[in-house]
Amino acid sequence: MAIAAESIRPHRSLWTDAIIRLRRNRFAVAGAVIVFLITISAFLVSIFSPYGYDQQDLDAILQGPSKAHPFGTDVLGCDVLTRLLYGARTSLAVGIFAQFIVLVIGIPIGAFSASASSRVDNLIMRFVDVIYAFPDILFIILIRSVLGGSIYMMFLAIGLVAWVNVARLIRGQVLFQKQRDFVIAARAIGASENYITVKHLIPNSLGPVIVAVTFNIPRAIFAEAALSYIGIGVKPPTPSWGTMIRDGYDVIFAASHLVLFPAVAIAVLMLSFTFLGDGLRDALDPRLRR
Amino acid sequence: MTVESILDVDNLTTHFFTQDGLVKAVNGVSYRVAKGETIAMVGESGCGKTVSALSILRLVQEPPGKIVSGRVTFEDVDLLKVSNSEMRRVRGAKIAMVFQEPMTSLNPVLTIGRQVSETLELHQHMGRQAALRETIKLLGMVGIPQAERRVKDYPHHFSGGMRQRVMIAMAIACHPRLLIADEPTTALDATIQAQILELIKNLTRELGTSVILITHNLGIVARYAQRVYVMYAGDIVEHGPAQMVYDKPRHPYTLGLLASVPRLDETRKTRLLSIQGQPPDLIYPPPGCAFKPRCSYGTQCRDEEPELVEVAPGHYCSCQLSRNGKLPW
Repeated sequence: MAIAAESIRPHRSLWTDAIIRLRRNRFAVAGAVIVFLITISAFLVSIFSPYGYDQQDLDAILQGPSKAHPFGTDVLGCDVLTRLLYGARTSLAVGIFAQFIVLVIGIPIGAFSASASSRVDNLIMRFVDVIYAFPDILFIILIRSVLGGSIYMMFLAIGLVAWVNVARLIRGQVLFQKQRDFVIAARAIGASENYITVKHLIPNSLGPVIVAVTFNIPRAIFAEAALSYIGIGVKPPTPSWGTMIRDGYDVIFAASHLVLFPAVAIAVLMLSFTFLGDGLRDALDPRLRR
Repeated sequence: MTVESILDVDNLTTHFFTQDGLVKAVNGVSYRVAKGETIAMVGESGCGKTVSALSILRLVQEPPGKIVSGRVTFEDVDLLKVSNSEMRRVRGAKIAMVFQEPMTSLNPVLTIGRQVSETLELHQHMGRQAALRETIKLLGMVGIPQAERRVKDYPHHFSGGMRQRVMIAMAIACHPRLLIADEPTTALDATIQAQILELIKNLTRELGTSVILITHNLGIVARYAQRVYVMYAGDIVEHGPAQMVYDKPRHPYTLGLLASVPRLDETRKTRLLSIQGQPPDLIYPPPGCAFKPRCSYGTQCRDEEPELVEVAPGHYCSCQLSRNGKLPW
């Protein structure tokens, strides 16, 4: 019986379908695996590493890779691999938590703007344009000089700069989704505009937002590295890839691995997130795939 | 005909203010629906039947649309005068609507169960669990097998006919007094059409719900509606008891509509009749009778504003020719 056969088929939501499509994309899977491995190692580094991130060994400074120190040691004799993995904590934390702030600010403002009168909408969007036009790094430096130097303020500073993207995206999506038939159907059952925005329009707009957020993570990681490089990022001795590159830069000819490894780490992590983002974009909107 | 009306639409006028000019989509139409009665709104695409229905629920997109004038009296209240929040309490609870496109009228990211429950949660203030139980019952009523499992499904797991059943379940969830069915079967297979219409008929009869059935298919009107309103270019040109309009159409447009319903028992050689020409431009409608340019009999008509006149008991028509009772066809 057709009905019986149909009921055996597993229930798949749109999200499950997207994950199935994502798993077929090799680059995305590779990106996800690398992100996962780096995350796990960053979590477990305090357990398996024999060294602390600030443990100096002045008898073994500036050593190249060896059995005891796979990635060598730095100017103070700290193990570079250990510091890299602790640095990954900083990078991932900044990359991911900054996105929470982006979402918390961006989604409500974007959705509100789309539902507001055209004058209010215009006002908000011009404000967004102003922030958008402002050079990111300059703005972050400004916010950091006002808010102070803790790592939480770093999340906030990057989030305060990056939310405009998501706000624009959500606004566009909500305006587009509003034209769809099910919105009239929802109005016809007596749902209010706010209810429709929260329960129908925003959930339908999340696909592109997830993609944007995945692409924003590497940008935030890069921003953190850049800030740490110029000395206004996380404070030593907390390891950060940006700080490590700056410290290694002084001895680049004597021990080039001190610049090389953190630079490669930044590149690999950023690339992995970008691949993952690409994969997500294709998975969430199969029509875009070529 | 002194049955109490549930809905009285009086001189409803809805215009669209577009870039190209003023579109008079609904041009002062009046109709009434009695308790438990099913009326049909018939006409070509773009004649204003959907807009007139959306106007009742004040769902016309504004801008560009605007209900310019008229009264929509539902249970002794003029719906055009109540506040937005009062209107929301009417929509879905007292007047419900089933749409033409079941494929796009459901939210693709929410489960069927959530969407049907929404109506119950909004109007009957049911909790999630209670609403879900009621939803399963409703889905069973509209003929969805294994409802308790299928509430977790998403719209894309359903065929068009099944989705329309879901839409009907949403519409009847709060036992509305009036159901507006806007071409509920147009997007469906011919085999499913009859099922859906029977379902609407049985459910509304059970609940004592009045129905406005909007359609361009005259074939279904006779079976399901007690009275028919024929719309052309934003006006009602003829209305009356379904049987009378069928047997003795008084307006040449109704005649044309009836003649263009394909019949299976005709020989293949007979050409299917169609009404000549195109529906008029609603920005620059022809003066006088809007049907005159397409009418085979209208050559001798005067250019005066048509007016609905009772041509037989309960049967009204706006055609000049049918007023004196002598029909040229």
